[in-house]
Amino acid sequence: MLLYAIRKLAYGFLIIITVACTVSSIIYLSPVDPARLSFGQLSDAGTVEAKRKALGLDQPLPVQLLYYLRDLSPVVVIDKNNPILESYSGVMFSMSSTKTFVIKWPYLRESFQSGRPVAEILKEAIPLTMILAFCSILLASLLGIILGILSAVRHGTWIEQVAMVVSTIGYSLPSYATAIFFAIVFAYLLQPLTGLHLTGSLLEVNDQGDWIIEWKNLILPVVALGLRPVSIITQLTRSAMLDNMMMPYVRTARAKGLSSTVITYLHVLKNAMNPIITGISGWFASLITGAFFVENVFNYRGLGVITVKALLDFDIPVVLGAVIFTCVMFVVINILVDLLYSVTDPRIKYS
Amino acid sequence: MATNQELLNIRDLRIAFRTDDRVNPVLRGVDFSIPAGEIVGLVGESGSGKSVTGLSLCGLLPEKITNISGSVEFTPENHPIQLVGLPEKEFRPLRGSKISMIFQEPMSSLNPVLTCGYQVDEMIRLHLRYNKKQAKANTLELFAQVGLPNPERIYNSYPHQISGGQIQRVMIAMAISCHPKLLIADEPTTALDVTIQKKILELLVDIRDKFGISILFISHDLGVIKDITSRVNVMYRGVIVESGETKSVLDNPEHLYTRGLIACKPPLYYRPRRLPVVSDFVDIVANGDYFDFKPTKKDGVEENETSEKTSGRHPILSVQNLVVKYPVAKNFWGSPTSWLRAVDGISFTLHKGETLGIVGESGCGKSTLGRTLVHLEKPDTGTALLDGKDLFRQRESEWRRNARNIQIIFQDPYSSLNPKMKIGQAIMEPMMVHGLYQNKALRKEKMLSLLDQVGLLPEHADRYPHEFSGGQRQRICIARALGLDPRILICDESVAALDVSVQSQVLNLLKDLQTQLGLSLIFITHDMSVVNFIADRVAVMYKGKIVETGLTEDIIHHPKEAYTRDLITAIPKWA
Repeated sequence: MLLYAIRKLAYGFLIIITVACTVSSIIYLSPVDPARLSFGQLSDAGTVEAKRKALGLDQPLPVQLLYYLRDLSPVVVIDKNNPILESYSGVMFSMSSTKTFVIKWPYLRESFQSGRPVAEILKEAIPLTMILAFCSILLASLLGIILGILSAVRHGTWIEQVAMVVSTIGYSLPSYATAIFFAIVFAYLLQPLTGLHLTGSLLEVNDQGDWIIEWKNLILPVVALGLRPVSIITQLTRSAMLDNMMMPYVRTARAKGLSSTVITYLHVLKNAMNPIITGISGWFASLITGAFFVENVFNYRGLGVITVKALLDFDIPVVLGAVIFTCVMFVVINILVDLLYSVTDPRIKYS
Repeated sequence: MATNQELLNIRDLRIAFRTDDRVNPVLRGVDFSIPAGEIVGLVGESGSGKSVTGLSLCGLLPEKITNISGSVEFTPENHPIQLVGLPEKEFRPLRGSKISMIFQEPMSSLNPVLTCGYQVDEMIRLHLRYNKKQAKANTLELFAQVGLPNPERIYNSYPHQISGGQIQRVMIAMAISCHPKLLIADEPTTALDVTIQKKILELLVDIRDKFGISILFISHDLGVIKDITSRVNVMYRGVIVESGETKSVLDNPEHLYTRGLIACKPPLYYRPRRLPVVSDFVDIVANGDYFDFKPTKKDGVEENETSEKTSGRHPILSVQNLVVKYPVAKNFWGSPTSWLRAVDGISFTLHKGETLGIVGESGCGKSTLGRTLVHLEKPDTGTALLDGKDLFRQRESEWRRNARNIQIIFQDPYSSLNPKMKIGQAIMEPMMVHGLYQNKALRKEKMLSLLDQVGLLPEHADRYPHEFSGGQRQRICIARALGLDPRILICDESVAALDVSVQSQVLNLLKDLQTQLGLSLIFITHDMSVVNFIADRVAVMYKGKIVETGLTEDIIHHPKEAYTRDLITAIPKWA
């Protein structure tokens, strides 16, 4: 089990490095000059050239890539007088008169636009996105599993048919459409009743200029974001439950005299859990990495808004930072889900 | 009239299933009774309604689509309870506590994600209102009573961690845990090896003696019925055609259908040239909702035949030191650290025109052997010479060209045909893949002649697999394999899933085809009496090795190895 987790982690590192290489190559190969962008049109050639040098953009692409990976790596051996050392936060161990060994946090560099460290920018956005994603998936899982069980138990009745039609529609609607729809209906047309804002983030500045947490700004994004997962989880739960209800062990359970409640919630649901977990975790992973459309519609300043803005500005370090974070989250969630499978299904054993 | 000792009294039980547009009768007026403390048999072929009878006694039929009428009086204590029409609310407390049931598929009959112990505890806590600790103690005691080794370990095991025989013991422990009066055993040993079957049957008799539980034993196997029951009811298409004392029914069957059924079981100690089939004895004509049984004019001729054939001894396939192994444990880098040797150094020779039987219990590697010969598994070491060329040292392209020489027919005819492909198409597909016959017309001609050869009609070509019975599907599979004019045909438990009467038809067909076409057969089976009928020579496999090999007669009459003797003596004797 432990070995399995370690091996998974090793694979995870490989994936992260591959993603970093691929994404940075694509971005650096594009014809836009970030150095020029950061000054606008008024700057002279000399200034731009100096900036380019400072950003390391004058180096050949593979060298730039290696430097980036060096900054990303948690352990590194480096010249003592290298100016980059000032940007690292970690512990240094002197190795010789010139070299030093550093254990550090991954250094994601600074934004081309604002000059702030990328880590700091992400640190502001990630909690907001995490809360949004977590609330959405919680809502979706609860609602989806309940609806799924209900439509499986009431197989062949109108309840099932309604649940299926609604979930098919829910799944077919793109999240930006539902987001705009919800915004118009609940934050504009019904605004006097609901008191919700058309746009807004979880953290807002109030009239006194203090940062406050506006919980109600969470409601519409959570619902808009949760709609598709609800539909998927409903359908997954229903079909997994129905499949399992056909199994001979259900007949055995009935022959034992167990009530249908015990059979449904204990025997069948436990067996149906794995596909449901797969569905939930996949959606959770993609929600955590930023719900681009929904965040932008509500101007909810999470990872999605930051990434889109950075892409438009060609703020390469921010984009790379966001992508790498995404990648790490996927790897971590996948490992956790694998471990979860072995809890819900004793037949799965990792070695 | 029901007497005092009768635990269960079934009168004119009729059951039908409703579909959208029609009502399909399954039971057409069944009468029989089960005396207290006896084991009563219910025997019939698939589709006869025997399982439906069992399920109806437990109230387990799908309520929404079932029409049920008649009377089932169950007398667990002093007062009879009418089970027909009993509301679910009153039926549920009876299930498990007064009537319990065990099923055929041991592997899927227990919940895979709950421990065996929990599944028994759950029932004891429900019906006997024990607390957790009492229930556990009770379960462990039951596990010991049904002969499970190391009850504590089984208690904490999940179903996939123990064997099929052990699961069936857990099921039995569960079934008797709340002291029921009636145990319905629906083909409880059909999926088990004969040696394990024998022990489970002994256990059931033991339970009856110890706890006085009456057992309704449902089976298709007359041998098992003879071994364990005192009374038997023979069922055909929803009616009981004959019932009485087991011994007298089986020794002197009165009904034509019973006679046919008894005759078509392959005998173990002599070898008929052909196996009789039910239609040799009785013509069954549908007459409205019922059936008329008329004797046929044919005589069931039974000639004895010795297994030595006159076929020349030309080796066609020679297998040397074949080893097939699967990794069971891997280290950190993914390379295997320990292996299961499914086939462990096997050598044999197959001669032209002969049938080699390969017998063994489940898990002995006999199927792996067959699958390896047709490249479905990868051999580890060893050679298999066909025409002096090693099958295992061929390039993929070369193998593909030669694949038609060896064809295989699998056990389950239901899952080995593509449900979306018409059977004519299914038979022609391999011919097309191998580029046999120049055009479609010629392939079609061949396909039609194959259908004729296996006893199907030309119009069957345009039908889909679900329109055929199990026996017909197996014929289709045979036709498909023969389409490539193979020289060797491997039959992997090819008749194991079929009813006895259908089984003998298919075995006769295979034997006829072999004589006509000069095929060499490798017949893989667990059933000694099937081997006795079809094989010239037998190899007995145990744990991946051949423990004994020789002429069929010699092996069956004078087995040398203890294991072979066990296999033969475990077969229920009834002839």
